[in-house]
Amino acid sequence: MGKNFYSVRCSLILITIFTFYSALAFAQQREYNFNAPGSKCYFRYLSFTADSDYTMIRRPFIFILGEENEEACDLFEKDTLKYSSAFTNYYFVYLPGKVNGSLQRLECIEALVSLLTFNYKFGRSNLFFQVNDTSIKWSDIEEYRLKPVFKNIRLKCENNYLAADIAETGSIQEDFRESAVAYTEEKKPAEDLAKYYIEEEFDIIPENDPLSATSQKTYFGPPDKTNYTLTGVINDNATGEALPFATVQVKGTTIGTATNADGYFTLIKVPADTCTLAAQYLGYEKRLIFLTPQSPDRDFRIELKQQSHTLQEVKVTAYKDDVAFINKAEVGTIKFTPVKMEQLPSIGERDIMRSFQLMPGISASNESSSGLYVRGGTPDQNLVLYDGFTVYHVDHLYGFFSAFNSNALKDIQLFKGGFESRFGGRISSVTEITSKEGNQKQINFGFDVSLLSTNLFAEIPVGKKFTSFIAFRKSYQGTIYDMIFKKFNKSSTEDAPDVGTGPWQKFSQSTEVDSYFYDLNGKFTYRPTEKDIISLSIFNGTDKLDNSFASDIPSFGQARSNFSMNSVDLTKYGNIGSSLKWSRKWNSKLYGNTILSYSNYYNKRDRSSERTLAKPDSNFETNMSGIFENNDLKDYSIKSDYQWDMSQFSQIQLGLFGTFYDIKYSYAESDTVTILDRDGRALLTGLYIQDKIKLFKDRIQLLPGIRTDYFQTTGELYFEPRASLSFSLTDRLILKGSTGKFYQFANRVMREDIMSGSKEFWVLSDGTSVPISTAVHYIAGVSYEMDRYNLSVEGYYKKINNLTEYSLRINANPMGIDYNENFFNGCGYAKGLEFLIQKSTGSLNGWISYTLGEAKNHFNEYSDAYFPANQDVTHEFKIVGLYKHRRWDFSANWIYATGRPYTAPSGAYTITLLDGTAKEFFTVTSKNSVRLPDYHRLDIAATYKLLMGWKGDKKRRELGNVSISLFNLYNRKNVWYKQYVIEDGEIIETNVSYLGITPNITLSLKLR
Amino acid sequence: MKLRMIILLLILLITVQACTEKDDSEFTDIPIIEAYLCPGKCLTLSVNRQIPFSSDVEYSSDDLSSLEITISNNNTNYILIPLGNGLYVDTTLVIAEGERYDLSFYYNSMHVSAYTEIPVKPLNFEQSETIISVMRMDSTSTPTAGGGIWEMPESLTLTWDNNDASYYIVVIENIEETLDPVRDFGDEDIPGGRFNKTPTTSAGLRLMPQEFQYFGNHRIILYHVLPDYASLYDETTTSSQNLTNPSTNITNGYGIFTGLNSDTLYLFIDEQK
Repeated sequence: MGKNFYSVRCSLILITIFTFYSALAFAQQREYNFNAPGSKCYFRYLSFTADSDYTMIRRPFIFILGEENEEACDLFEKDTLKYSSAFTNYYFVYLPGKVNGSLQRLECIEALVSLLTFNYKFGRSNLFFQVNDTSIKWSDIEEYRLKPVFKNIRLKCENNYLAADIAETGSIQEDFRESAVAYTEEKKPAEDLAKYYIEEEFDIIPENDPLSATSQKTYFGPPDKTNYTLTGVINDNATGEALPFATVQVKGTTIGTATNADGYFTLIKVPADTCTLAAQYLGYEKRLIFLTPQSPDRDFRIELKQQSHTLQEVKVTAYKDDVAFINKAEVGTIKFTPVKMEQLPSIGERDIMRSFQLMPGISASNESSSGLYVRGGTPDQNLVLYDGFTVYHVDHLYGFFSAFNSNALKDIQLFKGGFESRFGGRISSVTEITSKEGNQKQINFGFDVSLLSTNLFAEIPVGKKFTSFIAFRKSYQGTIYDMIFKKFNKSSTEDAPDVGTGPWQKFSQSTEVDSYFYDLNGKFTYRPTEKDIISLSIFNGTDKLDNSFASDIPSFGQARSNFSMNSVDLTKYGNIGSSLKWSRKWNSKLYGNTILSYSNYYNKRDRSSERTLAKPDSNFETNMSGIFENNDLKDYSIKSDYQWDMSQFSQIQLGLFGTFYDIKYSYAESDTVTILDRDGRALLTGLYIQDKIKLFKDRIQLLPGIRTDYFQTTGELYFEPRASLSFSLTDRLILKGSTGKFYQFANRVMREDIMSGSKEFWVLSDGTSVPISTAVHYIAGVSYEMDRYNLSVEGYYKKINNLTEYSLRINANPMGIDYNENFFNGCGYAKGLEFLIQKSTGSLNGWISYTLGEAKNHFNEYSDAYFPANQDVTHEFKIVGLYKHRRWDFSANWIYATGRPYTAPSGAYTITLLDGTAKEFFTVTSKNSVRLPDYHRLDIAATYKLLMGWKGDKKRRELGNVSISLFNLYNRKNVWYKQYVIEDGEIIETNVSYLGITPNITLSLKLR
Repeated sequence: MKLRMIILLLILLITVQACTEKDDSEFTDIPIIEAYLCPGKCLTLSVNRQIPFSSDVEYSSDDLSSLEITISNNNTNYILIPLGNGLYVDTTLVIAEGERYDLSFYYNSMHVSAYTEIPVKPLNFEQSETIISVMRMDSTSTPTAGGGIWEMPESLTLTWDNNDASYYIVVIENIEETLDPVRDFGDEDIPGGRFNKTPTTSAGLRLMPQEFQYFGNHRIILYHVLPDYASLYDETTTSSQNLTNPSTNITNGYGIFTGLNSDTLYLFIDEQK
């Protein structure tokens, strides 16, 4: 064997020396320190590759251990394997021999192998080990557990070389043969990707946990590169899903960044390639990544694991986070992750919009709106972006639920004000929603069943490059649905206009209520290259509310003719939206995406009665009366955004956008009188640029920006300068502020009407009767971080101009009626102070928030003075507590808000109409001068994890959970509005309340 | 620390809450006027007070029955004569088509005013039927009961001229001395002998035989009304979510002061044997 080896070696040298002469002239070995002097694993080793590429690790490795007391460089000089043509592609590592007979060195080899191969990124099938030290025996290899580390080991024992598995046969070329098919990433067992629950009795993490192994520092040598740029991507380890807006920071420094919407990040000026990175994302375990000279400096993949056995936290990052360096600059930002929202109490569905309402500055007392009232703004002033397209209406079932299925969502951020230039078209706030791309690794299915709806989802990856995610949710008319529906059903019946329905309808009247909501979310992502992502996102949510009845009087005596009457009360509204997005990472510093999108909001209301008389001659006579309302909004948009990480101090973001609006609204009474008919079409286009500047070791972050819009209808340019600033006084204390100007071109206008269902409609500004709304924000705040608590205080002032309201109360005079005159224009302001104390560690955590606010409007038509806006709430106090005990998660929230304003009657009178009937009218006090009683309620919830396997198993797969919630536990009758009637010359007032105690139970199951 | 913060916040909350002023419902004593001005008839007008929402409001000292109410027409002023209970009349003033009438008086130190014009009489008001036969039914009747051959009665079509999309309203009134119901009302409220359709801007209307509750002679009145009257039929809200003052053409007053003109036809509802 030995002779063979030498003769082969000699002949090979002759052949290869010429062939690789030139290559070898440039090939240079590299010498490294492994660990620091003093460490028991401190030694110098040499690496060698013929092509001098030390970053490429998808190749075979040969580790050679020298003879006793032999240095790595001597070993390298002596070794001839590296010249063998059979090993030209190999990565050689030369290790010094044992010192003075101690075998201790063998202990350190595994760590080095793991380090150099990136924790066996491409498996162990091509890792080889040659031991030149003849004193090391097979038993030593086994003792130091090196056998499983390598594919093959050859020992130069006293008598012969030994292969680990192929004893005494084959040459070294055969023993160390590269197996090309083996370059698959090392597969972890499938169940590793699932979420596990570790019983608390077995709290100690097993020694060979692959994740704990990866977070052990294995390299201690000097760095190769300093002040370099590192780019990469952060993913979920189980699904491969990219994690947007996750943070990554160089530990011990202020250098850090957040990933973009596609999960990519760029770290500029990483001090050295031996630094430690800390990556973190809400609901995921924080992970430390130890860089080594071998770590790639581009496409560096960081995988985070969902918090498994510590499910106690629904952590909300507000203003500041552990490594939330990036959040320092962002004033008034709240981030939620749907991952653990199930732990918060809910009416019937996990609801992201409801979760936001538990934060300061966002009103929680409006149960009949999922839309957010942020800092005295109205829901239409809050931009809702779903995968890049605008969603115009977020309510399901009269607003008790939001249109967003939490199973389909990955990340949600809310900017409460003073937002960046990259967002526009709204004057209050921005909600940015990113949907799930779906599992990149395995097929997954799941479903939820609650008393309100069923919810299904599927994640199907196709190959490595294509992922898909589909979720579907549909309500059914269970108790909760009916309870809410009847609240509206009842009030609308009471207020039903006289459409001349004769008493004959009592005959064979059938009421078939067929109401529901559903939504469908789909996302299809294709990654043609490492740099490109193409994704198609589809969203459709529809509500059908049917309170109709039909009555047939199928002839009297004989079926010769037929009279039928249908009373219709049908509302159908919803959204259809879709976006096609192409993202590309042009290079390590330039990232861009282009989004083509379509969004349609439709709301059709038909409250009419139709009478059909079928005559014996088969002719039909039909006449209709009632109300017909139709709002149809179409938004065709294209936008391109670019992010250029110019330097450590500056990140420039710029973009172009264009939107074509087509917004129709018509309102007709009977099929002849059209009261309002608007059709606004216009192009809105523009560009923005902003620069994130970091100064004084990132203590100061400045974000100036400007957005310019051109609006076709007015033909004018609008400039929106904005800026925000944050200043870290100490590591714990941060001051921040922002200001900016904002324009809004499409507005949802409130129509004063008795139907509560849809009393608002979207119209496009026409520059005159519906002017372009504008707002100026001034925000200042301070946050202070303690070890267990975060404190934050923010104050805001917003000045709003050109608000529009619409009143159907016609100003008729004897000469005629002009309905279009009923757009009123006014202005307003909102100001307030928000306090938040958050505890995000320990088994009991949560937050307390308090908001002091004021929102006032001024409309000449109502009053000479400012009056409280409908959404004005003076004090709002919210407390959220979460407690974890074993497999149970308990949560509770209590909300207290002072009453919203309303307009009360001051008096009433009746007028006798021409037919002798009396009609009642109310005169009113000044607008919104009285307040409803204070709103408060307590909700509680408990979630129990369902596990697979036997009790006593160390690790048990999580199957899903059962969750029980009680909304409004003490059955507080919160007043929604008041209803008035005149009886016996007196005005009688009745309160209409929101939901009383509402229990719900949800079962969620999923494949993984 | 946490506890102290909570207590602090609660104290703040309670303090501010305690300071919040309680709004009283404001009430202004504004008169309610009701006057329909029909050509060929004398002017009658009633003035009323609002029903206050709050019990502790004070009305103005003005006496409803001794107001000096002026109607002016063609530069002539007529002072209305009070009949008591807020009712006023002027027998010398006969309303004429096409004329404008202005109302003016003082109440609660405010000048109350309004004006109206008398629209033209409806033209070519015609009916498709003069007699409609419907079957008598009681609560035990089923559509197939009786077994006899029964024909669905014709509907009634009313037509008139309306070239300028004016507002018209149809009022149907049973003029029999005793009402003879078509069917057994059972537990329902017994309907009156009069009913109306909502104002329309069209030039015709169809009435279903089922809409007639009583047998006998009916008067069908077509009123040509003004938009301010039509607006009374707009849905009014009774909910605090969106209360606003009602629309009116009266300055410093509420109610209606409007001109109208009418034409009448007759219809007989016969019992089908």
